[in-house]
Amino acid sequence: MRPLESDTSQDREVVYRERFDSYRRDFLKTLVTPEVIEEHKRSPFGQHSEPLERLLIYFRQQPLADKYAVKVVTPFKAYRLVAMSGHRGVAPRPVGDEVFPTAKEACHGVFLLHIQDLLES
Amino acid sequence: MAQVKVFGYSDKLSLKVGEEVQIHVSADGTDTVDAQLVRLIHGDEHPDGPGFIEEEVDCEANGVWDVEKQFTQVGSFLEVEDPAKTLALDGSITLHAFIWPRTPEIGHRQCILGRWDNRRNFGYCLGINRTGRLEFWVGRGDEIDYVEAEVPLQEQVWYFVAATFDTKTGKATLYQEGVPNRYNSRLGRVTPIDYRSHVSEVFRFRQKNLDETPFLMAGSRDWHELRGDFVSQLYCGKIDRCGVYDRALGRAELDGLRQGGEPPAEGLVAYWDTTVGYTDRGIGDEVVDTGPNRLNAYGYNRPVRAMTGWNWTARNDCFRLAPEQYGGIEFHDDAVIDSNWKVTAKFKLPEKIRSGAYAMRLRSGDGTGLAEEYVVFFVRPKKPTGRIAFLFSTATYLAYANERFALDGSIVQPMGGQPPTITEPDIEMYKNPEFGLGAYDHHADGAGVCYTGYHRPLLNMRPKYRISAFGMPWNFPADLSVVAWLEHKGYDYDILTDEDIHYEGAAAMAPYNCVLNSTHPEYYSENMMDATEDYIAGGGRYICVGANSFCCNVAFRDDDPTVMECRKVGGHWKAWLAQPGEYHMATTGQMGGLWNKIARYGQKIAGVTMAGEGFAHSRPYELMPDAFDPELAWITKGIEPGELIGNFGLGNGGAAGIELDRYHLDFGTPPDTKVIASSGGHPDNYVAMDEEGAYAHQGFSGTHNHELRGDFTFCPSHNGGAVVATGSIAFGMALPINNFDNNVSTLLGNVVDAFAEPGPLPGAKEKVAVAAE
Repeated sequence: MRPLESDTSQDREVVYRERFDSYRRDFLKTLVTPEVIEEHKRSPFGQHSEPLERLLIYFRQQPLADKYAVKVVTPFKAYRLVAMSGHRGVAPRPVGDEVFPTAKEACHGVFLLHIQDLLES
Repeated sequence: MAQVKVFGYSDKLSLKVGEEVQIHVSADGTDTVDAQLVRLIHGDEHPDGPGFIEEEVDCEANGVWDVEKQFTQVGSFLEVEDPAKTLALDGSITLHAFIWPRTPEIGHRQCILGRWDNRRNFGYCLGINRTGRLEFWVGRGDEIDYVEAEVPLQEQVWYFVAATFDTKTGKATLYQEGVPNRYNSRLGRVTPIDYRSHVSEVFRFRQKNLDETPFLMAGSRDWHELRGDFVSQLYCGKIDRCGVYDRALGRAELDGLRQGGEPPAEGLVAYWDTTVGYTDRGIGDEVVDTGPNRLNAYGYNRPVRAMTGWNWTARNDCFRLAPEQYGGIEFHDDAVIDSNWKVTAKFKLPEKIRSGAYAMRLRSGDGTGLAEEYVVFFVRPKKPTGRIAFLFSTATYLAYANERFALDGSIVQPMGGQPPTITEPDIEMYKNPEFGLGAYDHHADGAGVCYTGYHRPLLNMRPKYRISAFGMPWNFPADLSVVAWLEHKGYDYDILTDEDIHYEGAAAMAPYNCVLNSTHPEYYSENMMDATEDYIAGGGRYICVGANSFCCNVAFRDDDPTVMECRKVGGHWKAWLAQPGEYHMATTGQMGGLWNKIARYGQKIAGVTMAGEGFAHSRPYELMPDAFDPELAWITKGIEPGELIGNFGLGNGGAAGIELDRYHLDFGTPPDTKVIASSGGHPDNYVAMDEEGAYAHQGFSGTHNHELRGDFTFCPSHNGGAVVATGSIAFGMALPINNFDNNVSTLLGNVVDAFAEPGPLPGAKEKVAVAAE
């Protein structure tokens, strides 16, 4: 990290969090395997292996702005992915155009987006 | 063509057959709706259950209603009753106040004190401009003159501020001094910030006042061609003792006020002593003017009182101990407790309907999504008709009313263990502040929401709604699964609400042999706690169908059931944290937060209460040794040893889960309590309630911690009374599976059958028979 690279606010907490998360991402990238992805696809809500649990905890802790979510198109029939604005009054924006038949599959779609973002970070 | 949207609310939540109900409706994109009274029987559309079930009911009000767009005044403020227009001062003037701005740079001008017309620029006002600086301005319609401070106000620091205007010389002066002590503000003495500003300008003219402009604190008069007069430029933060003079006070006089001195009498027009009016039981919305004109002010959208003032020293942590240090009144620019819409329709409920959960179903356009609205209310019989009562947890519904967990709470995904599943109503609530917030939300200025009311559309107290954070029915729609079960089993039941229990006490439950509480009876006033305890101790038989039971203390005013106060206090497990010294409710003077903080453990009533929560998959129960006690065999009749109970359900696939309650002798579980069944194997997304342990540590989660379980318990009481608790929110949502033919249904059915029957319980009957032999 370059000195004060992220110093856009008075809050040094933000600077530290960025550094903490960059170290964390370096490690988490090593946990991404086909087995972990398959495990999530099979059971997005259950008790997970430690690598998957660590990845999920990181994804869930991300700030609200641009955080992924599932949007109901038709209950129990059609779901899409969105990203939240993090700003009151501003609706979530659509992400991709895939329609998922179940909330569980859409949840896995969110997971794959997080994995992609992690690997590209 | 505009999207059709229909929203509404009723004047009352709890009614009796034949009583009059008023429905308030606002609509976009349509001027008519089709109205139909319905009885609600099952609320969740999940394909594993019976689906949504309603029953249309004949009613004089069914038919086409004319509707219109209605507006809600958002934000809290005080309006001074000034019929003689004493405050329409057009000469020299002084305005002064102690203030604690929460967010000086919130993005719009904030009016603190004044008689100001925003649209036409008439009057005078002391406020905070868009750059977060104190400003005083006067207007005469065509022009405005103003003076602003040199330094911005700091967030959450107490100041004494004033503006003086001498119309003889035209000199307008701002007086700004910080008054932080070691406790009252966010910052202490060490920081080298200069809080002070003393600036003068010579104004070109004096203010002109319009007759109709009100004197407001924390806002100013505005107007819109569709909605007419309203209040804008709302202030976020606290105001303590404040006043108005009809002369320009000198520096020494202002210094005296800053130091807490009595206001000089000369030229005093009004002095609102915000510490006047406290009693041992709280304080209301009237702010008393102790000056010569008695121009009292009244709160709109319930400004928050019982808040620490500029002179708070932290030795006393409640207004009851030192009211003179509790002059703070906090305002929020997005507070809503009452939409105050015009009545769209009023009618008498039919005489021949049965007790239950009802709604006026309103449809327009294609009648789907936001073009369909259910205005829910609850109907009791004129006189009790059954042996059984089901209690809807309306206090808990209010606590969660219009919550925005999913879109606004960064902690929600770690808790929920899943991304949110957002619906159209969630987005509508997020876009439009007029729906107001719930006790799980923060105001936009960062403060927790402590008032929540039902005179506004409650978009999550609707059938079909699934909570977006966790993707499941929650509270009211979940409770309908128990109602559908009672219907399916053909029980003779009436309904009650928390409101009835709060205002009528144990008498509301007394006619019934058996009372079933809801899936989530979390929020309880002291009246409700007392009533429940007295009902059971008096021989009543009580089934706590859900979990997270009897946890949080809340308060209602004696004359207003529509608004509930809730302050969040304690360690973890809360959506927000009240500021130090502000833990006691203005409504009653009681400490808010968890009942177990004051030794009123839920276990004393139900035998179990909160063990922890999680939102990954739910689990089944297994029978525990007490189930095999011959005296208690009636509870598990029809269930085989080793059988898993409830490895299914609409609440995450199991009967034990979501939130779990457990047996705990140290926290008041009655010693005679028997544990009939317990759940286990909860995943690590379940985390134990940390109230019981001194230190948080890694072993708090499901697979490491035996405390993470739901206990199904039985506890005898006096006079044949008894309590059964299921220990799980998911329990009720397992009942509808397989067309209600399952072992969760069997278990609950055994208990209801026995509890509803007069005379001794089955085990006791056998004991008597054996003794007789």
